[in-house]
Formats: sequence, C-alpha cells, structure tokens
Amino acid sequence: MSIDVFWRLPTHGEPAEVRSAVPYRGDEFPGLEAHWYSYIDYLAEIAHAAEISGFQGGLIPSFPMTDEPWVISSVLARETKTFRFMIPFQPGFLNPVTAARMTASLQRATRGRALYNVITGGGGPSQLWWGDATGHDDRYGRTTEFLDVVRGVWKGGPFTYEGKFYKTKDAGLPHPLSEEEFPEIYFSGSSDAALTSASKHADFYLTWLEPFAALLEKFGRVREKTAAAGRQIRCAVRVDIIARPTEEEAWREIERGFNGVEKSALERFLKAPQPGDSVGANRQRAGRPQVVNGYKDLIIEPNVWSGFNLLRGGQTQGIVGSYENVAERLDDLVKLGADAFILASTPHLEEAYRVGEEVLPLVRGHEASTLKAVG
Amino acid sequence: MPLQFHWQIPTRGDGRYGNAQPVRRGERTPGQGSPYSPGVTDPRGDRFNFFDHVHQVARATELSGFDAAVVRHDVAGDESWIVAGYVARGTRRLKLITEFEASWGSSVYAAKNAVSFSRFTGGRFGWQLVPGAGAATRLLWGDPLEEGDVLPRIAEFLTVSRGVIAGSPFSFKGRFFEVKDGGFTGSLGDHAAPTVFLVGESEAALSLSAEHADVHVFEASSLSALRGHIHSLRVLAKRHGREVKAAVRVDVLGRETESEALFDANRYAAQSGNQNAPRTTAGLWTGLGTDVTGAAATLVGSYTQVAQRLSEYVEAGVEVFQLAGVPHLEEAFRVGAHILPLVRERAKSSVSQPASPRTLS
Repeated sequence: MSIDVFWRLPTHGEPAEVRSAVPYRGDEFPGLEAHWYSYIDYLAEIAHAAEISGFQGGLIPSFPMTDEPWVISSVLARETKTFRFMIPFQPGFLNPVTAARMTASLQRATRGRALYNVITGGGGPSQLWWGDATGHDDRYGRTTEFLDVVRGVWKGGPFTYEGKFYKTKDAGLPHPLSEEEFPEIYFSGSSDAALTSASKHADFYLTWLEPFAALLEKFGRVREKTAAAGRQIRCAVRVDIIARPTEEEAWREIERGFNGVEKSALERFLKAPQPGDSVGANRQRAGRPQVVNGYKDLIIEPNVWSGFNLLRGGQTQGIVGSYENVAERLDDLVKLGADAFILASTPHLEEAYRVGEEVLPLVRGHEASTLKAVG
Repeated sequence: MPLQFHWQIPTRGDGRYGNAQPVRRGERTPGQGSPYSPGVTDPRGDRFNFFDHVHQVARATELSGFDAAVVRHDVAGDESWIVAGYVARGTRRLKLITEFEASWGSSVYAAKNAVSFSRFTGGRFGWQLVPGAGAATRLLWGDPLEEGDVLPRIAEFLTVSRGVIAGSPFSFKGRFFEVKDGGFTGSLGDHAAPTVFLVGESEAALSLSAEHADVHVFEASSLSALRGHIHSLRVLAKRHGREVKAAVRVDVLGRETESEALFDANRYAAQSGNQNAPRTTAGLWTGLGTDVTGAAATLVGSYTQVAQRLSEYVEAGVEVFQLAGVPHLEEAFRVGAHILPLVRERAKSSVSQPASPRTLS
C-alpha cells in the first residue's frame, strides 16, 4: 500500500522564514488592511499550494491562540478540490452526536475530504483553560466513549448508549448524512491509556518524530496492542523538515537560526520538563545533550536536529538535509513502520511547492523496502 | 437604527408552494439515476449536492437586499456551523447567524470557533441559541438534560463565551461549564462577541433574554399579544440596565394579488398533508408552515398586504424580522424586490412621528 503524505496549515502564524518567530503573513502582514483580508486568505493559498503540489491535504493544528480547524475546513471547503482537512480536536469539547452531524455535513460539503486527528489533551492547568475539568486517564476513557457514540450513530442508528460520560437513546444521523464515509482517524497520544483507546478506534497512530530506535519500539507496541484488540493499525509521523538543494545550505539555515537564539531561551530549553502530563513531550526531550555549545551538538542522528522548538513553538526534532537526504530519511522511517507523514516547513506556502516538486518524487515508500527484500 | 431583515438558510431541504414535497435541491437520491428519460443527456452526474444549492440561497439572500442569513438548526438536516462556514467566503456583507443548542459542546470551544468565524468574515457572525425540542428529543441527540435546566445552561454558556472572548484571565465555575484562567489573547484577543439572538415566549425565556440577549426573537402572533411580549421584555431588560431589541420570526407568502396568494397557500396546505387545517386571522396563518422552515405562522396576502402587516409589527416595536418562504431562493428575490422596499419606505416616513403611546399600553 502506498504511503499518504500530508502538509500542514500553520494556524499559529507564519514568519517569513523558519529562523524568525515573528508572523509576517496573512493579517499580520504590515500595511495590509485587515478589513479586507484576514489570515484565512493566506491559509487558502497554502491549501491550494498543497493540493497543487500533490499532498493529500493538511493538518490544521488547534492551540489556545490559533483559529479553529472546524471553521477553517468549512470555510475552505468550496474553493479546494482535493485537499483533505485533518481536524485535530479533543473529544470532550463537543457533544458526540453534534460532532457526528458536523462531520457528516463537512463530508457532504467537501465530498468526503474530512478526517480526524483525535487528541486527548496535555492536561494540567491548560485543560481548564479549555473549560475541561476531566483528569488524564479519565479523558482517554471519554475519548473511547466519544468515538463509540460517533460510530454508533453514523450509519443512522438507532443507537442507545449508557456510558460513564455519554448517554443516547435511539440516536442516529438523519438521511442523507448517514450515507457518508466515516472519516479516517489519526490518533495522537503516547501514554498506555492513549494506546488502549487508539487500539479500539484509530486507523493511523500518529506520533511526533522521536529517535528512530524509540519509534521502532513504539510502533511495535502500538501494533501489538491493536492486534490484541483484533484490529489493524497503520502508523504516521508528524515531522518538520528543512530540505535544500545541498545539505550545506540546509544546515546553514539551522546555523543562522541557532545563532539568533537568545541565551536565556537556550537555558530554558535545556531545563527539566515543565509540569503537565503529556507523555509525548517528555519522550521527545529524551536523548537530548546536557551541554550545547553549537547547533551541531543537537544533531542526534544523521540529518535529525533536535532544536526545532528553539526556533519556533512545537515539536523538538526535525529532518534537515538535501532533497535526497530528506527523502532517504523518510524512507528509513517507512522501513521502521511509518505508512503516512505529516510534513511541515516554513514558510508553508513556498515550501509546499518545493517539497512537492523536489522531495516527494524521490521518496519510494514501501516500494523501496519491497525491492530491497527481493534484491 | 434601521430595520433589519434576515432570511433563512434551509438545512434539511427545501419546498415549493406549488409542490410541498421537500427536496434537497442539487442532490440526487443515492441509488437513483437521473430524473431524465434515457433519451435526454444529463450532464450533472453526482457532481452537485444540497450544499451547492445552499450556497445559491446565501448569495440570493445577499443580492436581494437582506441584512443577514439565519442558518436553521434542524437535527434532521445539515449542521448549521458547517453550513455557515461553507457560505462565508461566497458572501460579502451578509451577517451569518448560526442557530444551535447549548448542547453543542464546551462554551469555551464554541467561543473560540466563533472568534475564528468573526476573523474570517470581518465580524459578520452571530448566534441564535435555541432550547431544542424537549427532553426526549435531547436524549435522542446525546443530551440528557432536564427541561428546567435548558435556559440556565444557555445563561452559563453565554456568560462563559463572552467572558473568554472579553479577555484573560477569566474563571468561572457553574453547574454546566467550568473554566480556569481562560480567555483569548494574541490574534484571538480583542474581538467582539457574536451578536446573540434568543427565542421563546415564556416568562423565563424573556428573563433570560433581558439579561443575556442582544435581540429576542418572537414567533409571529396577534399585534396585541406581541405588544404585551415586547412590553414585558423591555421592563425586564430595564431591571438589568439593558436594552434588548425585539424581532419577529414569520414565513411570508406574498403574491401580486391576494387571490393568488390564497390559492398557493391552500394548495400548499393540501399538499403538505398537515393533520390540522391552518387557522387564519387577518392574513396570519398558523399551521401552514412545515418542518422545512419551522416557523409557527405565515403571512399570506398581496405584497401590499404583507408589507402592511410587517409595518404594523414595526409600529409595535419590532426592529428585526426573521423571514422565510419556500423555495428559499426564489422567494428571497421576490420578497426582496416586492415587500421589503415597502416596509423600509414606510418605516422611514414614520421616523419623524413621536412613538405612539398605545404601543406600551
């Protein structure tokens, strides 16, 4: 089976280059009259760039300071052709039957281009910012129940459910909403509670990039747990990349960015984990050196740099190199068990064209491992 | 303040006064082929569905001079937020009012989605929160809530939504919603909360609106009943030091002549198979409308007669109308061309006259 490659819509704002933290696109563009344009006009450009350049679609991240993916997806539904909208959301934020109806309507509006990235939340104080008072392991129980209900009502019901969090009686989507395909589910979360929930409902287990050996182990655990539940699952990796015609040019981007990082920011970066119960964030931190004198100290394996969140918020590790380097590392991840990627690079508009034109044609996917096995 | 006219965007399909059978225009019934005979080429395939038609209705609403579109909440239809988003970029100045229930989800999440809507549309977004159709229906939709809790939940929903939109930090702990150190900042900060429309005729509904609504929407009724409602609303709102605008929701069936309108109304009543025959009082029909629009009453008559009735509502204190008619596209143009100008003209010419004291008696 061929691999699926997605792009990302930078809801967090877009600087002009990866080494700058100042948003410079959309309604943040100096001199642009916000009355006539807003950030959605820029996001529309990226979505078009991604579909023209051969990506499946894009992840539309949701953070406290960003616009919401349900709105972005419905607003861009009509002017895109093939772009698939990957909507991250925390199940606790929506009534499951409402969510089913929203999803089916979005499937109708996009002719089947909606999919989920189910996330269950970092927890701690941030969860109450969102208005959610449920604890960590309870939240995964709620995620499982939520997806039980969405699936239960999807084909029209009647579906009756008595859960700890949700109750329905003879619920079901109305016709013709009930005719739509159920959205693919990309499932995020690294704890045991997360994997249990994923094994029941996920099509793809989605992880950030981690040290390759750790990923191999993680994919194994996910597949084992899913097989025990009598299902099959595929794996996906969300990773930032910097791809340039030569490896030197790619590292020069990193070097410039690193040299611009304030000393205090570097000290914060090297400190112990912050409070909060995201297991994934802690896993990414593992294997990082204690002393960093230059950007090269953060190269943790070939073409993998572990300082991306020094340059911008988000995950730590990313792939840096020539077009060939990046394609090879992606193929290495396929060999470890990846079946899909969500790639991102700043600025997302120009880089969508670059990666689509220069990197994706070099990626072999499962074809590479098949050939190797034969040869 | 000029009068505001809203038109409805249907979400479960549309009808026709000459054929009441509901139809999702643009959409082919799954498993059924073309309605054309094999002798005629049908170029459409399955390339269109009801969303394409809904987009047309939104455009028609704007082109025919309405100020806002109300996206109907109907559990048997498409979800209203998705529909509002779908038509957002195809319209330019039309306000988009999304009708939904407070069971939708977290109030913080709703507020955050609303801010995105507002950012993407230049502030053209509004909320119409409705109570829904009783405890049994709510349970059907995954919302096991006691009848007595419906309005208190709407109150908390609005308190939290407005709180987090107004700024940070915002904390609240209620019976239905809880948030700690919340509130939007950065790109999401400094946005106006959506204009809030609430509905209902009960004393409790009016009290809720007095405290929380920008506009209260009444179903059309007799002028004297409506005057009473508006008076109560104003008295209650004043206790909170607020003013709440009054709106009327009513379907319209206007034709060049009264007899044409009556003919269409009677045919529609016969076709739609309503069990109870419609009752009419001075051009206001109850029981004629169907689930397609959901309105309680329909104004039937010549353009002049319908405009006259709407103007009487204006004199009773109504500032906003939420209108509908089937099919929504054709009737938007008809009402926009033949009825709205008459009502607007009359409101303008009566502006200089002092408010009649009888409206408050």
